[in-house]
Amino acid sequence: MHLKEQQTLWDLTQNHRVRYTAAIASMGVSNVFLFGVPLVSRYAIDEVATGRPVPWLAAVAIVCLTASAGIFQYLRGRWAALASEGIARAIRDRLFGHLQCLPAAYHDRSGTGDLVQRCSSDVETVRVFLSGQVVEIGRSTLLFLMVVPVLLWMDVALTLVSICLFPIIFLFAVAFFRRIQHLFLRSDEAEGAMTTVLQENLTGMRVVRAFARQEFECEKFAVKNAAFRDRTDQLIRFLAAYWATSDLLCLAQLVLLLLVGTWWMASGDLSVGTLFAFQLLVNFVLWPVRHLGRVLTDTGKAMVSLRRIREVLDVPEELTPRATPAGPERLDGRIDVRDLSFGFEPGRPVLSEVSFSVQPGETLALVGPPGSGKSVLVHLLLRLYDYEHGSIRLDGHELSTLARDFVRRRIGVVLQEPFLFSKTLAANIRVGHGDAHWDQLVESSQDAGIHATIEGFDHGYETLVGERGVTLSGGQRQRIAIAQVLLKNPDVLVLDDALSAVDTHMEPRILEALQRRRGRQTTIVIAHRLSTITHAERILVLDRGRIVQTGTHTELAEQQGPYRQLWRIQGVLERELQQDMGPAAAGPGR
Amino acid sequence: MTAHLHDDGYDARPFAVGLWRKLFRYTAPYRREITGLVLLAIATAAIDALFPLVTRGLIDDAVARGLDAAFLQYGIAYLGLMAALSLLVWHFIRLAGRIRTHVSHDIRRDGFAHLQRLSFSFYDQRPIGWLMARMTSDCERLSNVMAWGVLDVFWGVTVMAGIAVVLLVLDLRLALVVLAVVPVLLWISAVFQRRILKSARRVRRTNSRLTASYNEAIVGVRTTKVFVRQADNLREFRDLTSEMYTASVHNALQSALLLPVILTLGSVSTGLVLVIGGFDVTRGAVSLGTLIAFLTYVRFFFEPVQQLGRWFGEIQMASASAERIMELIETVPRIRDSDGVRARLTAASAAPVAGQAEDGMPDEIGTITFVQVGFAYEGGGVVLNDFNLSVSAGETIALVGPTGGGKSTIVSLLCRFYEPTTGEIRIDGVDYRERGLHWLQSNLGVVLQTPHLFSGTVADNIRYGRLDATDEEVCAAAETVGAHPFVEQMERGYQSEVGEGGILLSTGEKQLIAFARAILARPRILVMDEATSSIDTRTEQAIQGALGHVLRGRTSFVIAHRLSTVRAADRILVIDEGRSVEEGSHVELMRARGRYAALYAQQSLRASSRILGRGETGAGQPTTD
Repeated sequence: MHLKEQQTLWDLTQNHRVRYTAAIASMGVSNVFLFGVPLVSRYAIDEVATGRPVPWLAAVAIVCLTASAGIFQYLRGRWAALASEGIARAIRDRLFGHLQCLPAAYHDRSGTGDLVQRCSSDVETVRVFLSGQVVEIGRSTLLFLMVVPVLLWMDVALTLVSICLFPIIFLFAVAFFRRIQHLFLRSDEAEGAMTTVLQENLTGMRVVRAFARQEFECEKFAVKNAAFRDRTDQLIRFLAAYWATSDLLCLAQLVLLLLVGTWWMASGDLSVGTLFAFQLLVNFVLWPVRHLGRVLTDTGKAMVSLRRIREVLDVPEELTPRATPAGPERLDGRIDVRDLSFGFEPGRPVLSEVSFSVQPGETLALVGPPGSGKSVLVHLLLRLYDYEHGSIRLDGHELSTLARDFVRRRIGVVLQEPFLFSKTLAANIRVGHGDAHWDQLVESSQDAGIHATIEGFDHGYETLVGERGVTLSGGQRQRIAIAQVLLKNPDVLVLDDALSAVDTHMEPRILEALQRRRGRQTTIVIAHRLSTITHAERILVLDRGRIVQTGTHTELAEQQGPYRQLWRIQGVLERELQQDMGPAAAGPGR
Repeated sequence: MTAHLHDDGYDARPFAVGLWRKLFRYTAPYRREITGLVLLAIATAAIDALFPLVTRGLIDDAVARGLDAAFLQYGIAYLGLMAALSLLVWHFIRLAGRIRTHVSHDIRRDGFAHLQRLSFSFYDQRPIGWLMARMTSDCERLSNVMAWGVLDVFWGVTVMAGIAVVLLVLDLRLALVVLAVVPVLLWISAVFQRRILKSARRVRRTNSRLTASYNEAIVGVRTTKVFVRQADNLREFRDLTSEMYTASVHNALQSALLLPVILTLGSVSTGLVLVIGGFDVTRGAVSLGTLIAFLTYVRFFFEPVQQLGRWFGEIQMASASAERIMELIETVPRIRDSDGVRARLTAASAAPVAGQAEDGMPDEIGTITFVQVGFAYEGGGVVLNDFNLSVSAGETIALVGPTGGGKSTIVSLLCRFYEPTTGEIRIDGVDYRERGLHWLQSNLGVVLQTPHLFSGTVADNIRYGRLDATDEEVCAAAETVGAHPFVEQMERGYQSEVGEGGILLSTGEKQLIAFARAILARPRILVMDEATSSIDTRTEQAIQGALGHVLRGRTSFVIAHRLSTVRAADRILVIDEGRSVEEGSHVELMRARGRYAALYAQQSLRASSRILGRGETGAGQPTTD
């Protein structure tokens, strides 16, 4: 019924099947010992019924048999734990590795809360399934297979009586859980929705406070919280009906055995001891088989969880072309873009037939209103998104034929909203170049204008950054991101609005340091401040995914068009600034 | 019940009775369900205890008299018990499920509400993933134990007590043989409890770190990719999963040991009953039926013990969860209304007076004064030092200066996200800690550096500023800030989804929407922290006029680097190293040619060209036709 899930499960258990086999084997051995107990009791009771006392040896045998069974039960637990925890670890590692290799476009679409839930609570459900339910299913099956021969050996007719309801009990469970599968799914979805609200609330806590929207948030959460509660409650109501019915069936089976057994015993066809042993043995199997219902509940859940995990794992990772040309050690940094079109949805292009070239060592600036496609262009260059129409060539190699890691190692980027890991500042700056020398680290920080700030912290470079760099300002984060890139020393440098939160006082210093270090590095700058842009050799003006103007600052400033408009706005400011500074500005400096 | 066993100080936090008592307060609203559950548990236990008695009668009758009419009566008795038992089980589970889901809902509700009150210093120290784990898996585990665990434990204790009574009535001597094992069992369980608790804590802790790692990996995926960090991150993550593996296996082994030990102890009872009872039967002291009933009872007696043993493990796991959740719920917000303010809030809500705010003081914000304000983050250096400022109503204050100089801290203090560590901030002469927190914050409009949007539509996000705003007002606010054109271009206009955290929009677009949101709020105090840094110059120019209109007559604090934004301010403060180093209007400061003038001279085009060593570009003098 869940073929794919079972296949997934089978694959996941790959390196742990020996342990599972060992667990099941020790379970079998433990059962053999446990079956000894009713047989000893049967012997003892039959002795008693014929007027002979029970030897002490019987008591010793019962204790020894149970203790031996206990030892193997422990071994079963041990091997099952080793196997299930091992598998859980493998799933966690695989998910983590996979998540990092999924395309950026996938991460854009999926909610963080949902993904985290799949990685944490769904993995937990599968783990519980593996450590508990799988063993439980094995135990029930094994018990059944071992008990029935013993019963048959004692009394064939009574055996048929005592297991006649088993198929009904089992089939009822299976049919029931098939019917309510969707309720589990709905409950999980409700939980996911609730988690997302929680996640967003925690991430946006400053906004919530700033607008004093605590009550509104509480109401929003209350709706999701109540939906989760009610759906789970509904599910449990169904389960209650199931358990009650299956209990009834199980009891009916036991009573049937007792009544028929006593009847036969009274007519002399059966000994009391045999009836007692039958009762014990049927009890051994009956409850596990009924419990199979509860186990199947969680199996249903586990299958849903497995599917949710598989959904993530099935998303293809970013493709790495197998036949990657060895690629040069370093790039010259020549970029040719031809007829590049890109969109996330059909019919809504973000970039339309963009063409341009950047010479090695050249600095190219991209300007344009928000949503004009500047950042997307950068993401395409970094192969965070894959283009389908047109071509991007890096040193003449088609970008899509180059290994992503190679491209990303050689292109350094400072993203618009830099993310810092919950590590020390030093580890964060070293993120692109783990074995960088300390002196290089400090030099990069100095060039990024962040060294003095870091030194000012109590623990200096060893200061821990909060989850999202909470205690650092946006400008500080941007400067750390710049230090990261400087330390990485790439062949192509991309600044995606990387100086927006850096103050104007600091900006020229950083630009100067970049310039100094640049050498023959190709640089692409996205910025809104013209001061950051004007020094570029060439400027592309983008609007709605198209290049509307190209040229040097001088050329563009003289053409009619959006750039001139921009320029004029800043020019007015500039002139006024001169006026504001007053006549003294013309004189010699202080 | 075993709290006294934990006073050896092996762990700073023993299994706390007080903790659970507090948690069980959450079951108070469901007293009816709980009572029902208890009654059902007793009834179920009674029926469980009755079954072997019926069987005893049946066997004894069959042995003594063979088949007769009584046979039918036994059949009917069985049927009755069966029907009763399954009905009980049905309601049993329904009620327990109801309590479970509702208690978990209530704990989460309170946790969430409390999270809305906790200060930022709390958030600074706890990763979001950590908090998420408290509110999700810990809550579930806890409510699970509080419903099913309690149910099973109660049922188990009732069954054991019931069986003990029946055994004592049936045969005192045999009963004492069985019951002698009980103290040993309890002692062993207690020993195990301590160990399992310890390793369970380690599992939970590691699990939280795992969740936080996932969260970080997902949120920071772009950074990981562009720095090709995948392998390094995975290696670090593997260390964490290895620790989780070790801790979990350790925990599982301890649990795996407990059950066999209990079973073996149980078998001692069975053996003793069989031999001693066997003697009694041969002597004719007890009937065969009684012996069989006894043996059945002994098995029934130890079945709950197994259940209890399993729940021991679970309860200990949950104990670790309970500690963390209660820690969350009981953390007193560092910043909250003082007792005096709360008293006034209650009084004012009882008898509202026109023109009075909810905290019983005048509902107006005139002069805002920073008096010798100093601030340091916990464990961090001093960020702000002896800062003084007086702002009259309607004034626009611009804060400029180097990053990390303390500008954002000043507005965070103003918003009372943090409170000054020294000095005070006064509103019309009253320390703002004497005013209601909600009142102050509902008078604020804040546009932050990193704009945060909630998943939902564009309209929802703008309306966040004022929940009862009409569609026209939402639209007008968007037009004011220049967001209207790009919103109109989106497929579904104002009803377009922005994605989680606004991921479907660019940063500049998010800033515009955040700006529209603040404007819609019609705040008395507007705070803009780098609010337009990612907006292109043309759009910014377009909103300058609107901005002037918005700022006019409204007390505003603007942090910006762009000259165009700053120069319109009434007063500009240059903040460096936690102090105000220059103060004045744009013209005054330019003429003074100090730090501020230098800052903007550098920003000017020619200056930056010069610094970059490119000389005159030929277009150095902008045209201004």
